[in-house]
Amino acid sequence: MNQQQLIEQYVAGKLGEAEAEAFEVACLEDPELARQVEFEQRLKAGLEQVARGSTAEFVRSESPLGWRLAAAASVVLFVCAGVYLWQRLPGAHPMVLAAVTTDVQRDGPAMRLALVRGAESVPQLPAGKVRVEIVGLFDPGFHYNVMLDRLRQQREIANVATLYGQQPSSPVTLEIMLDGDLLAPGTYSLRVRKQASDEEALDFTFEK
Amino acid sequence: MDFIPGGELSRRIREGDVSAESELIRQFEPGLRVLLRRRTGGDHGLLQDLVQETLLVVIQRLRGAGIDDPQKLAAFAAQTARNLAIASLRKAERQKTDVDSEATERKPDSSGSIESQAGDLEAALAVRALLRELPQARDRLMLKRFYLEDHDKEHICREMQLTEAAFNQALSRARRRFRQILEERGFAKRDLLNLGL
Repeated sequence: MNQQQLIEQYVAGKLGEAEAEAFEVACLEDPELARQVEFEQRLKAGLEQVARGSTAEFVRSESPLGWRLAAAASVVLFVCAGVYLWQRLPGAHPMVLAAVTTDVQRDGPAMRLALVRGAESVPQLPAGKVRVEIVGLFDPGFHYNVMLDRLRQQREIANVATLYGQQPSSPVTLEIMLDGDLLAPGTYSLRVRKQASDEEALDFTFEK
Repeated sequence: MDFIPGGELSRRIREGDVSAESELIRQFEPGLRVLLRRRTGGDHGLLQDLVQETLLVVIQRLRGAGIDDPQKLAAFAAQTARNLAIASLRKAERQKTDVDSEATERKPDSSGSIESQAGDLEAALAVRALLRELPQARDRLMLKRFYLEDHDKEHICREMQLTEAAFNQALSRARRRFRQILEERGFAKRDLLNLGL
């Protein structure tokens, strides 16, 4: 067992009594080792404390002022970069999510995502670049972030892409472009959250 | 700084060398915090008290009768700390058995002392900052599985389709950042400064 494994086992309470006592003496003889162990103890204690409040923090982040400012800066950067690349360098940098910017896109293939109570079928994403029409209640004066996650077994979530600063096209519609050819087959979740807001995200599931 | 062997520290303290006492505190304090943190259930105030008490007992012993095997000074200090933690636990248990009928009517305070709350709060704030910074939802879930749900690495790697190297790398990154956040905010230094022997 290497030193890091020993630290982990000690903090998790998985060492036998004699081993734990010998490890404690080693900590007294090596202050730097002791500091490493203490940070590990505090990380575990901190996680336990946070988890007592809400496990949601492990899935999504809070949005304090600093984060909001950073997000606002990201919005400007991403929107500018996204529009530039989409219009001037088609295909040079494939993007899973993008803003809808041209009439060709607006008239092209589309998939509609709406929260339908009792719906039994999950929408299927067509191949190629698709305009996704997200139906919900949107505030046209605000920007929204769109997060695409892949859902795996046991509720694991893996973020695939995030598109920042999207403006709804109407109070009930927000449209984005999604490139289905860049996604592996599986179940996906598309979440739409109003920026700088604690409102719950709208969450849609579809399959590829 | 170099580690001074227990034999030399014991001899110098017995000879009245005050700098050797400071050296003993510098060397042993981090290890005593580790040992006692495990035995004080997150009570930051009690942890500080027991660290101080242990160091006082050890120094007084070295100033006076000394210990049987000075080479094993660290083991002696560790055992002293364990004994003091057990004594403190017994004292707390005795206090619990002295039933106060009025007290039983009151709502129990599960939050501990103000100092213990502060200790937890600092780590919790740093963890919140860390969770905000972790770009991948996968990394946050990984921490949850490893530290809170007590899953072993192999299980988590299998479940999350990760190699062990990728898991260790992500964990090590999270640890480094957590330590950095605590140090940036002065939490780690504050603990050391609290030890006013």
